[in-house]
Amino acid sequence: METRLADWIKGTTQGDSANDILRACVHCGFCNATCPTYQLLGDELDGPRGRIYQIKQVLEGTPATRNTQLHLDRCLTCRACETTCPSGVDYGHLVDIGRAVVESQVRRPLNERLLHWLLREVLTRRGLFGGALRIGRALRFALPRALHAGLGEHRAPGAWPRRTHARKVLLLNGCTQPALAPSIDAATARVLDAIGVQALVDARSGCCGAIRHHLHDQRGALQNARRNIDAWWPQLDSGAVEAIVINASGCTTMVREYAWLLREDPAYAARARRVSDATRDLAQFLGPQLPLLLRCVRPASITRIALQNPCTLQHGLKLKHDVEQLLSALGAQLLPVDEPHLCCGSAGTYSLLQPKLALELRARKLAHLLHAQPQMILSANIGCLLHLAAGTAVALRHWIEWIDELIVTS
Amino acid sequence: MLLPEFDIDESRWSGVAEAPAPGRQLAVAQALRALLPADCVLSRDEELHPYECDGLAVFRQQPMLVVLPRTETEVRAVLLACRRLEVPVVARGAGTGLSGGAMPHAAGVVLSLARFDRILQIDPAARIARVQPGVRNLAVSEAAAAYGLFYAPDPSSQIACTIGGNVAENSGGVHCLKYGLTLHNVLGLRGCTIDGEPIELGGCALDAPGLDLLALSIGSEGLLLVVTEVILKLLPKPELAQVVMASFDDVGKAGEAVAAIIAAGIIPSGLEMMDRKATAAVEPFVRAGYDLAAEAILLAESDGTPDEVADEVRAMERVLQANGATAIAVSASEAERLRFWSGRKNAFPAAGRISPDYYCMDGTIPRNRLGHMLKAIERMEHKYGLKCMNVFHAGDGNLHPLILFDANRSGEWERADRFGADILELCVQLGGTITGEHGVGVEKLNSMCVQFSPAERAAFFSVKRAFDPPGLLNPGKCIPTLARCAEYGRMHVRHGQLPHPDLPRF
Amino acid sequence: MDSALQELRHQVLQAHSASTPLRLRGAGTKDFYGERCEGTLLDMRGYFGVVDYEPSELVITARCGTSLSELEGLLAQHRQFLAFEPPAFGGDPTIGGVIAAGLSGPRRFQAGAARDFVLGAVLLCAQGELLHFGGKVIKNVAGFDLSRLLCGSLGILGAITEVSLKVLPLPRLEQTLQFEMAASEALALFNRWAGQPLPISATAWYDGHAWLRLSGAPPALRTACERLGGELLDAEAASRFWRSLRDQTHPFFGHASTLWRLSLPSTAPQIAGSGSQLIEWGGALRWCASDQPAADMRQRAGAAGGTALHWRGGTAGGRFHSLSPVVLEIHRRLKSRFDPHGIFNPGRLIADL
Ligand SMILES: Cc1cc2nc3c(=O)[nH]c(=O)nc-3n(C[C@H](O)[C@H](O)[C@H](O)COP(=O)(O)OP(=O)(O)OC[C@H]3O[C@@H](n4cnc5c(N)ncnc54)[C@H](O)[C@@H]3O)c2cc1C
Ligand code: SF4
Ligand code: SF4
Repeated sequence: METRLADWIKGTTQGDSANDILRACVHCGFCNATCPTYQLLGDELDGPRGRIYQIKQVLEGTPATRNTQLHLDRCLTCRACETTCPSGVDYGHLVDIGRAVVESQVRRPLNERLLHWLLREVLTRRGLFGGALRIGRALRFALPRALHAGLGEHRAPGAWPRRTHARKVLLLNGCTQPALAPSIDAATARVLDAIGVQALVDARSGCCGAIRHHLHDQRGALQNARRNIDAWWPQLDSGAVEAIVINASGCTTMVREYAWLLREDPAYAARARRVSDATRDLAQFLGPQLPLLLRCVRPASITRIALQNPCTLQHGLKLKHDVEQLLSALGAQLLPVDEPHLCCGSAGTYSLLQPKLALELRARKLAHLLHAQPQMILSANIGCLLHLAAGTAVALRHWIEWIDELIVTS
Repeated sequence: MLLPEFDIDESRWSGVAEAPAPGRQLAVAQALRALLPADCVLSRDEELHPYECDGLAVFRQQPMLVVLPRTETEVRAVLLACRRLEVPVVARGAGTGLSGGAMPHAAGVVLSLARFDRILQIDPAARIARVQPGVRNLAVSEAAAAYGLFYAPDPSSQIACTIGGNVAENSGGVHCLKYGLTLHNVLGLRGCTIDGEPIELGGCALDAPGLDLLALSIGSEGLLLVVTEVILKLLPKPELAQVVMASFDDVGKAGEAVAAIIAAGIIPSGLEMMDRKATAAVEPFVRAGYDLAAEAILLAESDGTPDEVADEVRAMERVLQANGATAIAVSASEAERLRFWSGRKNAFPAAGRISPDYYCMDGTIPRNRLGHMLKAIERMEHKYGLKCMNVFHAGDGNLHPLILFDANRSGEWERADRFGADILELCVQLGGTITGEHGVGVEKLNSMCVQFSPAERAAFFSVKRAFDPPGLLNPGKCIPTLARCAEYGRMHVRHGQLPHPDLPRF
Repeated sequence: MDSALQELRHQVLQAHSASTPLRLRGAGTKDFYGERCEGTLLDMRGYFGVVDYEPSELVITARCGTSLSELEGLLAQHRQFLAFEPPAFGGDPTIGGVIAAGLSGPRRFQAGAARDFVLGAVLLCAQGELLHFGGKVIKNVAGFDLSRLLCGSLGILGAITEVSLKVLPLPRLEQTLQFEMAASEALALFNRWAGQPLPISATAWYDGHAWLRLSGAPPALRTACERLGGELLDAEAASRFWRSLRDQTHPFFGHASTLWRLSLPSTAPQIAGSGSQLIEWGGALRWCASDQPAADMRQRAGAAGGTALHWRGGTAGGRFHSLSPVVLEIHRRLKSRFDPHGIFNPGRLIADL
């Protein structure tokens, strides 16, 4: 597409990146077809092609408005559009740039700013969030329906393995997951242990930064990133760990982004690239270990499974079939799920900020997931899990928990 | 030689870009807001701007207003109001059109049917689907698959384009050689006239009395009525389909092979061709396994019972070999067949990977002139200093040369535009037409002057006025004014009967 | 300009300036068809001949007066044919008449109707101009699709002087299966079979028997025959049978004094009072020798989602099913713009047009 960027952004790193991305878009509209918000709202302004156009308009000098902001806010950043785009348009990075510019031009009303602040500060701090969560659970009946999404039931995590192995990986010392579903990390550690890999968690690391990133706190997100790089670097650099393995695909996506986010930071750019390169989603890490895994599992008793493939996994990381292959190989009968490309509406803090759309998407996703009457729904991302769990009585787990159940300890 | 009886009222025809009178936007917006829910009328600049073009982004015009109705009652109300206030109305589906058909009118309303996205009924016994116009083409086949049925026309844009848009453009696809165009697969439609009157054409029965207004409405580019419901014919899915992929070291030879297949009495369900530049552009995205060393590849599909397919595939292989194919591969699985096609289906946008902009042409010529045309295009590449990659619905003689250019460089679009016009003129000279499936829109108005005489144009206007007396539906598209043709100043060539059609005219 | 064409043009211009009606006529095989048929004869037979035929292009272009037998003979030499099987009604119609009437034979069920094969047409309009619409290529969306509008127009918009038609290769093999069954059973089966990937090119039911014609590649037919059962008819007899349906020389068409042609959704249940019946097109075309009141037949056909055409017999209330007011108004406007003096076949398609 033709572009005429405004002088204030032309020639800047952001401007050049945006220009390259914009130019690759040929305005074919294929992406609208798989965009969740376009499916729901049927308005060009709420589809990727229209969002690209709105961003282009702002970068070409038309001041952004609350309206522009609204349509960018409604974007789930699910990046289904990227998967669909035959022209290779890097929408994810463009929308980041666009949002930052719009954020700098348009001041949000006080209540929104307050909500964003609250979410940022509460969700990203383990201690705080744990406390808030307990209060939230107790007060569940008093909260709006949409918020139930964030309050799953507590499951006992089970024991953390105590063996040491020569092969080691780092797990993320996440923010919400340990508080909400400690069983996931524990299951991850156990499965890794079973195949002879020791899972380490560095206490100095913390939230990957995705939440701040979504809530337009670029600086905070970068601080999170730098803190994690600092924490991981010694073990990574010394070769003590072979990879950083993350079991929440939203976080994997974010850590893989460190390289791009810090590309302009002379002190961190090189290390960020190393960290991003060394980061694997759990599914990606386990895939090649399948032969090892097959040796230490028993036949599954729960086999009728509907898999929810999180957007971060299939669109962000482009790992469309990895979990599927893993589970099938371990004896799962994966049931057909319609519109597998569509976002469930969780999308980080989206379910809290755009509850109406999020709930519509959840209902749609659940209808597809439940269609073939599964015994269990599996996902690869904590956010999706909690969001979906609030809408159905069918058991929902992280897929690693399902595998964990199969492990026979020798 | 103008005919007085064909009373051509060309008013409103040239004013696509004429801004509305001051205060007009507000007045019309108010009138429409009284009829529709608040989220259905867009009027701010930043909301209107993204609607300024369709899939052909070089033609842009910001509309005065955009409306997004949800029901037929709302559509009728909008049309009635627009008729009363004399506001032009441009219907819009998914905006994937490639001729600027859905490009707005500066003083007009864009009537988006994107929210008409429900499949109302699939009747497997009668093999029909009743759908709203905003339903995506692919969604119909996906829904019909449960019954072993499919909707045959499959434009490359089928993932996104709407049935309403398909009807308006009479869209084709890679399988229309055997299964026909939209025209052949639509049994009936329901719509609204500019007077807000519901109108039904055709239906679930095969014949209807009177003139075939259904056929006339299909391909009418939103100039005659606004479609609100469509009855589609569904076909049983063939048991098996296989694609033969053949490589050629010369584009001309590939063209001859196409004619030879047809001459052998074979009607493949799809017969497509891509030149080397095209395969190079798509391969990195789809990894279809195209032969990148070949000057051209042909994709020929056979479908039917397994025996029948085996038989036909063998026959095609023989013909292809006899016509100089340097390599032949046959899809071994359904996944591979889809992969072979996916490269073809993504060919246009994939051009965006090798060039910032592309301009897609859509002429049709007799199949046996393919080679001639390709040579001519090569000469034109030199003349205009622009590259052109070629993708063809070869079986139908429908060409999609993609002229690559950079809109940010001054003068390049103008060169691309003239390059395209040259190709289309040659199509007419070779006995073909300026558009096989993308429609005239705003883009090919000038070329219409080359293909049609003043009296023929007048006849088109007559049809227009018979459906839409005030001329408010998508004015300025599809039919050029006399003044425009005079200005364009190219000669009108009688269908392929120019004295020396073989002489290149450049 | 060809002298025969010149002559036609001359007559049209004269009629136009004098506002005298013309009755366009080819071989007259369809004189019975339409509401009214009057005016000075405009004989279209003088302008004939195949203009262009390139078998590998699958397109034939012929002047209006070319006889169907000549055209089909030429196509047969190249193993091609007109897949919509236009009826000849026992005579030898002109191709102009075939297209102006727009009628199709048994294969319409699978291959499509006459209009589906029209690629282009030349219209001699009231002002004596020759207007070219469509073309000689399979795909063409430049301007409105007027060539297909002319198909079935019964000449009310002008004289069709030339048509370009899509042709298809002849099927490599055709076989006909015969079954014994009741009409309702046949309707159910026709619809069920049509939903399966079977090479069925025509169906018929009459008097307790159903017929199925299969066309295509030998292997496909073999599989289909095995699957469908029934009794295989001798090729000669089968071809005679389908020809008799196509041309309405079948005895069924002989005896009835009034004959209705019901165009219905193929799944429509049996129409009450339809009398002796012959069913074609997988159930979508039902010929009824019925003396029920016309209003009842129309009402029943309409209620079933179709229309009723009074093919033969009493014409009180017109032959064709009536049009909705909106559609009729568009017809009026089209007619008045194309033929302002009302010279072309007035009243033939619609009584007062
Ligand atoms: C990458 C790409 C590949 C393509 N490949 C093909 C192909 O293989 N074959 C092909 O034929 N086309 C192809 N196209 C062109 C385009 O997709 C088709 O023309 C399609 O039918 C347009 O549908 P749409 O819903 O996007 O309509 P729009 O672009 O929104 O509108 C097209 C026209 O239809 C009118 N219209 C839309 N809806 C209605 C309605 N409800 N009532 C009345 N008028 C209406 C509009 O006014 C406009 O004139 C391609 C386009 C792209 C971008
Ligand atoms: S699919 Fe890609 S090229 Fe097409 S409009 Fe969307 S972003 Fe642009
Ligand atoms: S990221 Fe998701 S919601 Fe946002 S534009 Fe792309 S497809 Fe739509």
